[in-house]
Amino acid sequence: MPTTANARGPGSRLYAGFGISGPVTPLLLAAALGVPWLPGEFWTHVGTEVLIFGLFAMSFNLLYGYMGQISFGHAAFFGVGAYATAMLFTALKGADGQIGVAQFLLSLLVGPPVAALAALVIGFFCVRLTGIYFAILSLAFGELLFYIVFSWYSFTKGDDGIQGLLPPPFFQDSTNFYFFTLAIVAAAAAVMWRITESPFGYALRTLRDNQRRAGFLGTNVRAHMLANFVIAGTFAGVAGALWGPFSRSVSPGLLGWGESGIAVFMTLIGGAGSFVGPMLGSVIYTMLQAVVKMYTVYWPLTIGTIILLIVLFAPGGILGTIDKRIQAMRARKP
Amino acid sequence: MSPPILAVTGLEKFFGGVHVTCNVDFAMQEGEQSAIIGPNGAGKSTFMNLLTGYHRPDAGRIVFAGRDITGLPPHRVVRRGISRAFQVSSIFGRMTVSENVRAAVQAQMRATFRLFASARTLGAGETERMLALCGLEAKRDVVAGELAQGDKKRLELAIALAGKPRLLLLDEPTAGMSIDEARSTMELVDRLNRELKLTVLFTEHDMGIVFNHARKLTLLHRGEIILQGTPAEVRADRTAQKVYLGEHHL
Repeated sequence: MPTTANARGPGSRLYAGFGISGPVTPLLLAAALGVPWLPGEFWTHVGTEVLIFGLFAMSFNLLYGYMGQISFGHAAFFGVGAYATAMLFTALKGADGQIGVAQFLLSLLVGPPVAALAALVIGFFCVRLTGIYFAILSLAFGELLFYIVFSWYSFTKGDDGIQGLLPPPFFQDSTNFYFFTLAIVAAAAAVMWRITESPFGYALRTLRDNQRRAGFLGTNVRAHMLANFVIAGTFAGVAGALWGPFSRSVSPGLLGWGESGIAVFMTLIGGAGSFVGPMLGSVIYTMLQAVVKMYTVYWPLTIGTIILLIVLFAPGGILGTIDKRIQAMRARKP
Repeated sequence: MSPPILAVTGLEKFFGGVHVTCNVDFAMQEGEQSAIIGPNGAGKSTFMNLLTGYHRPDAGRIVFAGRDITGLPPHRVVRRGISRAFQVSSIFGRMTVSENVRAAVQAQMRATFRLFASARTLGAGETERMLALCGLEAKRDVVAGELAQGDKKRLELAIALAGKPRLLLLDEPTAGMSIDEARSTMELVDRLNRELKLTVLFTEHDMGIVFNHARKLTLLHRGEIILQGTPAEVRADRTAQKVYLGEHHL
């Protein structure tokens, strides 16, 4: 990040301090605060989904953008978080199907640590590998967990999933739930930002750029990879915990490779090289999906075409491409 | 004489059927500045890889500063005080020059598990010192991957020095540099050795640099040490001329 840029205006100063994420974050935040004022509940609902999946994609990018490893099984932790919350939720709710606020919040709290535990076990094996082997092993573990949840009917209700996750009355209002989600996602993002700007965050970047050399700095490569794997899994668990009460149900598909692919897609669209890229990717992916599905059943075809175009013509994603332009401009006029 | 800072005994390494390091005994005193020379494929880089834990020796012992470091992984060897700079510069290409050095400083401080500290301020002073020492202040905000070859090698050296080594291993420190850059780099190495008592072991193909900057030479040939001595002794030796020096015009 350039620190000597001569600041002209707040956007330029934010860029100098935080890179492309600097000017984009306030814009995203302003848009997020404005969503509930749009007419009808539809966009508030979509907005909640944007936030939850955005957090999920940002947690994925801790592995991909910062550590340089691509995981095709990251949804396992999203799903484990969602199921942990859903199962405690079900156990705590009354016979009338209602749940108290305290019990509701408690059930949300249990998602992330259970996801972290799953990430610790799976990560222990995955961090022994890098590149395509890391990707394939994460995929295999993700599918394994999917299959366990899918088949273990007595414990997880199998392919029926878990229904009836109706939050307390206050949170049933879509605007209230939206702001609740926004607060949690913003707080989680702030913590993630701190981590990415810490010595640990930069140690991850050294692993991404040159793993062998990182070892010669005195960095314990596997220990750092494992710690980051657990952190990424934990934040995916936060997103997963929010999902159940939002959609009122969970199903095994949440753990599957299709769900993992969504994080990859969002990150590629928004840009893996910047902190908020995956969130922007979620804005585009989720909103586009909502609109396209209103008119056609060809959503996979649509998103496939978009990904193809991005990978071919804007390989850094949207923010990566804009960032490149800005840097080229700055290089031309000193 | 005090015990050597580095003592290698009976070191062996095979790659498949190839015997790349044959029964090497090697020692260095603290504050020494030595060079390993030898033709391509003599096993110079392998020897450095063995010293730094990148390869595990098949036999033999490496004792550094009184402690056995044989078979330790690289990150633990570094913490014992052996840093290395690579022949082909091995830097962090997408990070800026100062971020490269800062990450190395923070690794040396063992601060890389501090999740909520600010990377920008931790070890900033030491980072500045390393940048200044290696003449990289003006390039601090350049993305390392875009540096010229000579600057990459200087960054390579800065990263190695950030580890606060007692023994610095340099694998062809001036390869790819202009004559001026090579001279200033070797002057820096001499200064570190003289002023900080840093023990330096380097490999180099440029015999001018070897004879001017090393006080002791070790000639390696097919994985074996065939000669050790002062530059004058090695220059005068007939075997040395035959296996290696003959290739070079002296």
